[in-house]
Amino acid sequence: MGLSAALRAFAAGAEAPIFAIAGLGARDAVQDLRLRRELRLVDSPRSASILLVAGVVPEALAEAVARAHDAMPRPRASVRWHLDEAAPGGAESLRASVSASATDDVVAVVRRTFVELINGARDSEPAILPDVDPAPWRGVGPFGQGGSGMTGGRPFGRPMAEMGDDRDGLRLDVLPLTVGPFFTRLPAGLTLELRLAGDLVDEASLFPNPFAGAAVPASRLRPALRPFIRALSEPVPIRELELARARAHLRWLADALVAQQLESLGRRTLALAAHMMPDDLARVQALGRALRRTQVYRWSLADVGRLDGSRLEHLGAGPVARAAGLTEDARTDDPAYRALGFEPVVQSAGDTAARWKQRLLETMQALDLAARAGELRTEPSGRIEGPRGLLTLDSAPSDRLAPLVPALLAGLEWSDALAALISLDLDLEESAAVQPAAERTVA
Amino acid sequence: MTLLGPLGVALAVFVAALVAPLLLRGFIDNLARAPTTVPQRMPFVGGVAPEVHAWNRYHARYYTMALVFLAFDMEMVFMYPWAVVFVREGVSAFVEMAMFITVLLLGVLYMWRERALAWA
Repeated sequence: MGLSAALRAFAAGAEAPIFAIAGLGARDAVQDLRLRRELRLVDSPRSASILLVAGVVPEALAEAVARAHDAMPRPRASVRWHLDEAAPGGAESLRASVSASATDDVVAVVRRTFVELINGARDSEPAILPDVDPAPWRGVGPFGQGGSGMTGGRPFGRPMAEMGDDRDGLRLDVLPLTVGPFFTRLPAGLTLELRLAGDLVDEASLFPNPFAGAAVPASRLRPALRPFIRALSEPVPIRELELARARAHLRWLADALVAQQLESLGRRTLALAAHMMPDDLARVQALGRALRRTQVYRWSLADVGRLDGSRLEHLGAGPVARAAGLTEDARTDDPAYRALGFEPVVQSAGDTAARWKQRLLETMQALDLAARAGELRTEPSGRIEGPRGLLTLDSAPSDRLAPLVPALLAGLEWSDALAALISLDLDLEESAAVQPAAERTVA
Repeated sequence: MTLLGPLGVALAVFVAALVAPLLLRGFIDNLARAPTTVPQRMPFVGGVAPEVHAWNRYHARYYTMALVFLAFDMEMVFMYPWAVVFVREGVSAFVEMAMFITVLLLGVLYMWRERALAWA
């Protein structure tokens, strides 16, 4: 077995391909793994050896976790990453063989598991779901052959797509497809129900937030959200808030860049976001110049997913609204911000490219405010301008933007629809943290 | 080469082409011994099993572009005999071809206005 051993040693030296599922409180920690060269975050469990389940995954998503697990080729293993020891693990169906705590170096744990898998020291995990075809191919003949229709019977027992009206007046098939909850380009938990006519989105709707329902204590949220939740009820230094805002915008930008196939620029943005300080303004400006040289501003996102200001009025939609020409910003009501001479940055186009530019401009503005804020603190009033828009004690901007999604995506090509959806920066964790008291139940 | 002769070489290539895939197949089967399960074979789009088969008929919206490509491809064929005649005829052949190309260009502009070059 000399050749086999040599091949195994060679394979174990490669970067470990992992498919990461970011539960509650883990989105930023999982995103930061992109900066680690020892492993590679892949887009589908099919190309992964290790499933990393981080944070709290609600029971509602347990089946999807199991599907992601079973889709991995062998040898495979799963690593459970507990970021908060006190938090319930969630998704009990996942019998992860390895677990890492908040204090462990998760990269080292993943690497070790990967090497063990490859050199045979660790057995591949068995499937969670039963090995039963839910829809076997079955025709009318004795060997499953024949039947009516062009395929003879139903291919793999599943019904064919139904006919629907095409926008060109033809009647063609409309394919129903559910994307998510662990579609790698969207935040974990976001599930999009689509009806596709070829590559055009015919209809789109969002599933309810799977994280909602259980009260989420602030300590279980990802650290980036905490200053804004705190600022709802207590004075928080403006410097801290504005730095958190700048980081949140850049973290969004890093993900959006990866979705535009600009992976290395995304990694650069993420590295900047992770250690952002007010004197990083020049580096953000340099990033803006690099962005202007990409396809993003020039043509690929211009005129895509336009949202009129009239549809966004009084929604408190933050950068999305300001990119469409509205001057809504809760910071203008705060005396501390007024003392700093704060004026909202506004653009007029309202398309996806404008939302990208808006977030970059607001990052620079936030750094400027953070640098000048000194010891100034906010006045707690139960409403605060978060990175995604107006945050109150019982509603988050994502909840108010979600109803706009069906009309926004209808008629777009899939790539444009995805870019437009990403540009809204929906955050399920934030909306779970501030849901109305009536919807809260004991976890 | 001289040892086997042309027929021998052909035979050797034939046998090698027959045996190599079998060897490779055996090697791969040996590497991937574990059987695949149904959930592993299922398409993954985020964790929800598809309910409808992906085989569907959709509008090939680029068909106008495809037709236009075919038409212009054929027109290029006319340029080959013209290139031969051009050497003999000189300027008059050039003017005639220029007229032909101009008519085509008008067609392209019309097409552009009718949005036949838009992808979707």
